[in-house]
Amino acid sequence: MFRETGESIRRNPTLSVASVITAAVSLLIFGLTLIIQHGFDNLLSQWEGGVEMIVYVNSGAGEEQRLVIEDALGQQQGVTIEAWSYCDVACSLADADRLFAGDPLTRAQLTELNIPTQYKVVPLDATQVEILRGLRDRYLELPNVYSVQLAEEQLDLISKLQGFVSTYTTGLWIALMIAASLLIWNTIRTAMFARRREIEVMKLVGATDWFIRLPFMLEGLLQGVAGGAVASVAMWFINGRWTAGVETFPANSGMTSLVVVDGYEWRVGLIVVLFGALIGTIGSGTAASKFLDV
Amino acid sequence: MIRLENVTKRYSSDVVALDDVSFDVPKGEFVFLVGPSGSGKSTLLRLINRQERPEEGSVWIAGRNIVDMPSNGIPQLRRNIGNVFQDYKLLLNKTVFENIAFALEVIGKPQHVISQQVPAVIDLVGLSGKEDRFPHQLSGGEQQRVSIARAFVNRPLILVADEPTGNLDPGTGEGIMRLLDRINGTGTTVVMATHDRRIVDAMRRRVVQLDRGVIVRDQERGVYQ
Repeated sequence: MFRETGESIRRNPTLSVASVITAAVSLLIFGLTLIIQHGFDNLLSQWEGGVEMIVYVNSGAGEEQRLVIEDALGQQQGVTIEAWSYCDVACSLADADRLFAGDPLTRAQLTELNIPTQYKVVPLDATQVEILRGLRDRYLELPNVYSVQLAEEQLDLISKLQGFVSTYTTGLWIALMIAASLLIWNTIRTAMFARRREIEVMKLVGATDWFIRLPFMLEGLLQGVAGGAVASVAMWFINGRWTAGVETFPANSGMTSLVVVDGYEWRVGLIVVLFGALIGTIGSGTAASKFLDV
Repeated sequence: MIRLENVTKRYSSDVVALDDVSFDVPKGEFVFLVGPSGSGKSTLLRLINRQERPEEGSVWIAGRNIVDMPSNGIPQLRRNIGNVFQDYKLLLNKTVFENIAFALEVIGKPQHVISQQVPAVIDLVGLSGKEDRFPHQLSGGEQQRVSIARAFVNRPLILVADEPTGNLDPGTGEGIMRLLDRINGTGTTVVMATHDRRIVDAMRRRVVQLDRGVIVRDQERGVYQ
């Protein structure tokens, strides 16, 4: 079977290469879409769970000093605040890992001794922006409060950007994936036509349809996997270049966490190869079934 | 071994290839199908190996009606039917040995069986020493011998031959007929469509004559006419 598959690829190298390139481009965009989404998720990770306001506490503040802040938050619980939670030093360092993933120099300056801890606040009604702004102003006056940040200041813009990028890249990779699958379908059809005499003989001497189909399906599978492998390598390269580029951005650019360096890119690489195998098998499998009677 | 009962095959509403055809071929018989072009000879052969299905009637092979046979049963049927064609249908990129072995490989025969059966059948068809030649390095008669070897290597119950001597000179054609006769002598049923009057008259075997899809003569030890 492998010999037959190899022979088929050798007979039609240009179409095979075209299929692999198309599959690679579509899978690359698919992979980059996942990577970009993950980057946005990192960017927004501190606002997960409906958090609309973060009160940063000076690093030196002790438990008694924090009780003043908690007392102020508690007074609003059930009035304007639904819930609040304390993010201690370890939690804040973990947040910093994500936020400054693309800015290792800034991250390196944050230690257990100097990192501000955080109170993450979920309001009763996130649309009441004026009430939140009022709370911010009030909390800024409390002792040991380093700063207060509202989600509206970065969340809206990032969410819009994420939605825009997600919509268009998803549309693009779906269209290209269909194109890749159709090209593989056509390559297999051409390969079957080129080998119609062998197929005819195979059928007449009693070969089963699966026996005839399998080398062609394997050919499509290999094209998909090859496309996936090329896309994965390209994706890792692009991600590496982007991460290196983000390191040169200013710390206040707001982009320092729009990177993927937590190993997710390896998982996406594997997904891309598996997806390549899937589109290759679907394209070749449908062609091999449809054109068996060449 | 082969029985056709009231078989009608139409290619369109006004093209009737076979019209209510019935006949029996017992095991081990040698039958010539004769008749002008378009009389239905090839269609009849294609019905036997289930390349075609009739609109009406039934086709029985070794006691089984193959008309309604599910598609997954067809490969098994074809392993019991060898096919020989006028144009040989050899694979040009494979040697004599590989062409014959191909018929065993695709039905999953193990390598030790292939290396045993292929040389034996090459010897039977008189091509020993030419195992490594490609089809273009063989004469027409030799190519037809390879085709017969490929059809017979799996020791089928039936061998159907569609004009196997059609592209050959008379002397070479006689050699092919001697070979088919020898295969028939092993107990294999042979059904052969031909236009070759000289061969039919010389062999004096059963002759079924078709004309416009109808059997007009069925004669034991017959001649071409």
